[in-house]
Amino acid sequence: MVRFRDLRLGLLVAALVALGVALAGPSWTLPRTAYDFIIVVDITGSMNARDYTLDGRPTSRLDAAKRDVRGLIAQVSCRSRVGLGVFAERRSFLLFEPVELCVNFSAVDEAIAALDWRMGWEGDSHVASGLLRALEIARDLDVDLVFLTDGHEAPPLPASGPPAFEGEPGKVRGLVVGVGETKPVPIPKFDDTGREIGFWSAADVPHENRSGAPPTDASSRPGWHPRNAPFGAADLTGNEHLTAVREDHLQALARETGLGYVRLAEDASLPTELAAQARRRLIGTSVDLRPLPAALALAALVMILAGLPVIETFRIRRRPPDWSVVERKK
Amino acid sequence: MSIAVDHPAVLLLLLLALLPFVATMLAASGHPSLAAVPRDGLSVFADATLRVAAAVAIAAIVLGLAGIHRRQQLIERQGRGAHIVLLIDRSASMDNSFAGRSPTGEDESKSAAARRLIADFVARRPHDRIGIAAFSSSPMPVVALTDHHAVVQAAIGVIDRPGLASTDVGRGLMLAMTMVEEGTPDAPRAVVLVSDGAAVIDRRVQAALQDAATRAPVNLYWLFLRTRGSRSIFEPPATGELDTPQANPERHLHLFLSRLGLPYHAFEATSPAAVQQAIAEIDRQEARPLRYFEHVPRRDLAGPAYATALIGVMLLLAAKLAERGLAAERGLAAERAASRQKRRETMREVA
Repeated sequence: MVRFRDLRLGLLVAALVALGVALAGPSWTLPRTAYDFIIVVDITGSMNARDYTLDGRPTSRLDAAKRDVRGLIAQVSCRSRVGLGVFAERRSFLLFEPVELCVNFSAVDEAIAALDWRMGWEGDSHVASGLLRALEIARDLDVDLVFLTDGHEAPPLPASGPPAFEGEPGKVRGLVVGVGETKPVPIPKFDDTGREIGFWSAADVPHENRSGAPPTDASSRPGWHPRNAPFGAADLTGNEHLTAVREDHLQALARETGLGYVRLAEDASLPTELAAQARRRLIGTSVDLRPLPAALALAALVMILAGLPVIETFRIRRRPPDWSVVERKK
Repeated sequence: MSIAVDHPAVLLLLLLALLPFVATMLAASGHPSLAAVPRDGLSVFADATLRVAAAVAIAAIVLGLAGIHRRQQLIERQGRGAHIVLLIDRSASMDNSFAGRSPTGEDESKSAAARRLIADFVARRPHDRIGIAAFSSSPMPVVALTDHHAVVQAAIGVIDRPGLASTDVGRGLMLAMTMVEEGTPDAPRAVVLVSDGAAVIDRRVQAALQDAATRAPVNLYWLFLRTRGSRSIFEPPATGELDTPQANPERHLHLFLSRLGLPYHAFEATSPAAVQQAIAEIDRQEARPLRYFEHVPRRDLAGPAYATALIGVMLLLAAKLAERGLAAERGLAAERAASRQKRRETMREVA
């Protein structure tokens, strides 16, 4: 009996100590990864082409891109900092600087949802220039870049090719995301008040960029004249009124600038691609360890109140009473 | 007060809190009959106290394990402020100084002055819901009305980046009016237009703006960052000069806005100091009674729960240390030891 009394005391002291430890608030810091980046979304006309499907309905590239970007910010750690910009003409235009997502998530999410081609200030689409401007912005802010575009250059690139990248490849890291399918589709056309009025036709758009030097094979073109017709005299035909994602162009740009490339498709996951490309910022997430000592304290109390009495009852029943003592007392 | 737990299933363990009422943590002592013990008020009280203390300790630990906390909540408060949409001109001319030149050395560009002073303005108004819209040739919603000023400041931080093409004030105003309408209906609302120029407003856009003004009354402010040397919006042009929207779009925008039937104030600023005065005036005028919501963050209550349990266990421990066996039992143990000793002696004698 004396032995059990001491065990009870020991368990009570253990419970007390465990609760004291729990009150001290032990925690363990887990390393987690956060990313700092700006998202720049192409809002030019070709992004209105509907070659994605969402809930069984044809969806524009812009809507598909917005859906995936919203998915991306929902998945990265909320301590990540995200800024938003749009690309049109030859510029990338920052809407807001990177902000931490923990408290600002809904505002950032709404801002992404509100992206619209109508925000575009001009109709041109010089994708390569826009990417270079976006890289400059990201470099100034010292963050990474996620640039979503279909790579459709309008007007087409000159014979000399895209503007050269003068920065240091890999200084800004991140992703070029190719948006669109590889099968050419027509581009919706809108009137001045923003109503859709059909599609761009072959006659509406330039099929060749005639600024700068003519291509080297121009002399073999019909009607070529070095002064009067340096680009040849044939009527221009082409498929510039249709649009498909220009993967070769975008991959070349990504290689040159040291970014990763991924195409926006059903199976593509922006969070994992971003994790593979972007710079990581290690943050600590603290894990609450108080439940461990608290559970021990609970176990000790339950042992005292339920465990010991059961054992005791068992023992008392087994042991015959010591009648000799009682008899002598009489 | 809204109390919640993270793991409701753990609450099943609360049943353990009944244990102290069926078992005791004190040692059982052999006694022929409880009826022989005289009824004693103090003992009954001590017994009840200890059982309750044990029950409370167990319940408190279980609550702590379940992750008890006070939920994050919004508390409605009364303050002064307004729901404000800041409509900011991002056209290329904003990159110039008030003298109309590229900013050099001492000069500050109009956009840099606007950025600095608007950031201050927002920082002084913690209770406002603020939205940001930008415009150049087209209107751009940037941040919808929000209480989170970090993202608002992030959007103000980009104002002095290089601007875009030209100025379409009309559609920009239309966007700002739509954005500010999304706030709480009875909250005071304001639209603050910050621009350094204007353009002719399309007749259809004029009609739409007139409609919007009739539908949802807002206080309208125009902070006109006038480049020195350009004409004032308040003075009619000198005789002989044309007075048409094409020739003098700023003055005609001012006239149009005053005709909207809204409370409207125009401020003309030709220097950063003048901008500061104008913003202070807007700050003063927009201090209307406002119901706003304050976020009260989640508060962890597991700590207090464990503290309660600790007090309970300390009480039990005190009782345990004060515990003495019954006199009879103490005697019993002594007798037993004596009889064992005696038996051993007898055995030795026999041997």
